Amino acid sequence: MKTIKSLSIIWIVLSVICTSAFAQKNNKDIVDFKLKNVDGNFVSLSSFPDAKGFIIVFTCNHCPFAKLYPPRLNDLNNKFKPLGVPLIAISSTDTMMYEEDTYPNMVTKANEEHFKFPYLFDELQEVAKNFKAQKTPHAFVIWKENEKWVVKYNGAIDDNGMEPEKVTESFVSNAVNELLANQPVKTAETKSIGCQIAFRRK
Amino acid sequence: MVKNWFFLLVLIAVINKNIYSQKIQVLKFDALKQCIYNNSDTVYVVNFFASWCKPCLLEIPEFVNFDKGIKNSKIKLVFVSLDLKNDQEKLLKIVQQYSLQNVYLLDESNANNWINKIDKHWSGAIPATLIIKKGKHKKFIADVISSQTLFKLTK
Repeated sequence: MKTIKSLSIIWIVLSVICTSAFAQKNNKDIVDFKLKNVDGNFVSLSSFPDAKGFIIVFTCNHCPFAKLYPPRLNDLNNKFKPLGVPLIAISSTDTMMYEEDTYPNMVTKANEEHFKFPYLFDELQEVAKNFKAQKTPHAFVIWKENEKWVVKYNGAIDDNGMEPEKVTESFVSNAVNELLANQPVKTAETKSIGCQIAFRRK
Repeated sequence: MVKNWFFLLVLIAVINKNIYSQKIQVLKFDALKQCIYNNSDTVYVVNFFASWCKPCLLEIPEFVNFDKGIKNSKIKLVFVSLDLKNDQEKLLKIVQQYSLQNVYLLDESNANNWINKIDKHWSGAIPATLIIKKGKHKKFIADVISSQTLFKLTK
């Protein structure tokens, strides 16, 4: 037990923000992935052949900011999946650091919150690195362009985590609406507080 | 008996003083800015943290260590908690455990409005530390930091 504890402390100390804060996240091509969903099946972007785009939300069980959003994730999926823009939630947290984020706990969370969308376990953290996701929640809107998936928005889901009824700007929703209308995304990047995704060093 | 009562009173007074000195002040971003950006010759070391952030908590002893080394200097250590306003219990425990002083809780719902004002390259992930000298942004570290680095950067 003691070794596990000290190991995890070393882990934490070694974990670094791999993605540079200066890194460009938008207009980046996203490589398709294959991750295990809470229902036991594997999910890829290609599992949705008719999708025009996706709302990808890096989230997790343990983070207080992420905990504020599950009903809003369901709302976004209900609103946009029928329009060809499904939502996919991905957990990439280091489970050595947060027991709450292990796969069995993800399954429980998805049931409790009645997730109607895939909640995928990014065990190797490769997908988070591919997106340059830095924290939870960190939302991305990707869109199909010339058979490639391109990042069009990244940042907060909306402008009020604590009080959903006081949201004045729904960043993700606005971005998807603009893309569906073939318009450029006006607010393509926003900042928000969140729990850092600590990347394990190999 | 009287002696016992007196002892109890002194105890209550001491406890009260401790609670008072470890109070967390809730404020808005503009008020925080006024606290840390002034033209005095004080160097401000501002640590953004939260009680739910594990790497932040591991880093606190480094700040405690740094704080011991800056007594009687013109360096001031300030903690800005990004905990949720209606959930301060864990934060209070940490503040008491380490006897942290100058703790503010930032009461802002839309981080997109203020994160860029701290540093435009900051994504909002914590821990992060800002060093201000003579009212000017001197250094921003979006990562954990050691007390040695803190001493070096505030020299």
